[in-house]
Amino acid sequence: MRTSLAWLSLFLVPFVLHNDVALAILVFTFILGILAVSFNLIFGYTGQLSMFHAAAFGIAAYATDLSMSRLDVSFWVGAIIAIIVVIALSLVVGTICFRFRLREFYFAIVTLAFSEMTRLVILNWNSFTNGSLGINLTTTPTIWLPGGVVPVAGTRMWYYLSLVSLLSVVFVCTRVVQSWMGRCLAAIRLNDELAETLGINVFLYKLISFLIGNAGAAIAGALYAFYLGYIEPAYLSIEQSLAIVAMALLGGRETVAGPVIGAFILTALPHVISLSAELRVLLYGAILICTILLLPRGISGLIARPRYVS
Amino acid sequence: MVQLIVGQLLNGIIVGTLYGIIALGVTLTFGITGIVNFALGAFMAIGAYTAWYLTDGLGIAYPLAVPIAVAAVAATGLLVDQSLFRFTRNNLINGLIVSIGLISVIESVLLLVWTTTPKNMHYVLPGVINLAGLIIPKMKGVVFLVLLSVILSTYAALTRTWAGRAVYAFAQAPEAAMLMGVRTRLLQTGVVVYSTALAGLGGALYASLYSLEVSLGSSYILKGVEAAVLAGIGSVMGSLIGGIVLGVTEAVGSLFLPQAYRDAYGLVFLVLILLFRPSGLFGAK
Repeated sequence: MRTSLAWLSLFLVPFVLHNDVALAILVFTFILGILAVSFNLIFGYTGQLSMFHAAAFGIAAYATDLSMSRLDVSFWVGAIIAIIVVIALSLVVGTICFRFRLREFYFAIVTLAFSEMTRLVILNWNSFTNGSLGINLTTTPTIWLPGGVVPVAGTRMWYYLSLVSLLSVVFVCTRVVQSWMGRCLAAIRLNDELAETLGINVFLYKLISFLIGNAGAAIAGALYAFYLGYIEPAYLSIEQSLAIVAMALLGGRETVAGPVIGAFILTALPHVISLSAELRVLLYGAILICTILLLPRGISGLIARPRYVS
Repeated sequence: MVQLIVGQLLNGIIVGTLYGIIALGVTLTFGITGIVNFALGAFMAIGAYTAWYLTDGLGIAYPLAVPIAVAAVAATGLLVDQSLFRFTRNNLINGLIVSIGLISVIESVLLLVWTTTPKNMHYVLPGVINLAGLIIPKMKGVVFLVLLSVILSTYAALTRTWAGRAVYAFAQAPEAAMLMGVRTRLLQTGVVVYSTALAGLGGALYASLYSLEVSLGSSYILKGVEAAVLAGIGSVMGSLIGGIVLGVTEAVGSLFLPQAYRDAYGLVFLVLILLFRPSGLFGAK
């Protein structure tokens, strides 16, 4: 109840807050929040440290734009194509990793390797992706509102679009986590050999969580690219992967929506306090280190009860 | 063509030892404290910048500047270990995040002190060695020999001295080692600091060969982790060989396959090794 009220109050923010910069920070928070929440399904709930998340994010950004320009479809069809592409690729990567029972550090290293390979392909496939120069996006998504189809323009429209997307992703993840599947994921996280003995198909559930998580990253990628209006290979960088891990840990990996707080702090805080670029990076690092050492359960861990299963 | 291949082979070996020194730090830290110190690349950058500043800024002779730079990096390593890494022992993910935060901190401090302009050290040792038609810059040869001797003497120290055997014992059974009188806390700190000093040495030597920028270590730490995993975590000679294998794969691979995908060849190799021989090339089964 309390959480639903908190979510609902977010819809009222643009009526109170008229500052465009502040709203833009919230839009970034929501889009990166989608990324962090979906990552946390794989990391916080299934216990797999995936470094493929930034790759899924970047691939979706490119796939949305390329299918729009090459196939001449709308943003939404492009986004769906992107999600399908990401799911297909995750299926390949996930099957390889989970079939060979790669765990913890080794899973992280192999997904990182796949992620880097994808980045190198995108970086060097000049005719298709425009290489290191990236792509400037000129179109905007359109949505249907009562009264006709309108382009999503202005911070306020983006605010609602990203908030609704975030809510849907949080909803799906909550449903997954609270279902029978969520119990299986928790069992795998706690002890996957024991889970196997109990008759849980460890391979299948790890794969499903990996696919759902990456599909979330794909949604975030499509939105992020079109909000920013610019795509570059750095979307898939290792730094991006690590930033996602940081958001999840900072916000707290024990709750579904916790990572959104992490996304907020890591995107907003450096902008609110006006500092030079170097000091901003310094602050970012200091925040990371301090949270990990002082708040190991993340910020949402301060209010949420410790979890036992889900 | 043969000459080209042999030349690239040698180049790969030399760069590979640089990967190897980082890989050695990664392997030691992981074996003893259970974390992967991703900030080793940043420590390498500290070593490189300090060596550059001491030689070109203060006019200290390069052979003297290198040990001072290594000592400075080790002191930083000690500070960081006592204030941060001490609290993340055996916690892979916390250690990972702390070391990532540390990369941001170190890189921004380096930028604040020495700005973004790339730094080029004057030639320490100009001239080339002509080895039966193959041309190798003298300095590259020196760097190779220094790194090789450091890795070999680390191996000797680990296998021949009491402290070295204590490290092995601790890696295998921490509690048993403790009961045998190994001062475990000191040992863990020592290993973390030694790894950072190795990275600092790598950086100080790097400064004499290439142009410096703050993020120079980021590709080396990746290659170092790759080499360590490739060889099998915990194997000392393996990290040297893993580094060389990686360097040679990249150098020779980019002769026959597109240069742009240079960084990918090592990765493909790494994935295959991990899938079919998860303990690495030299790791115990």
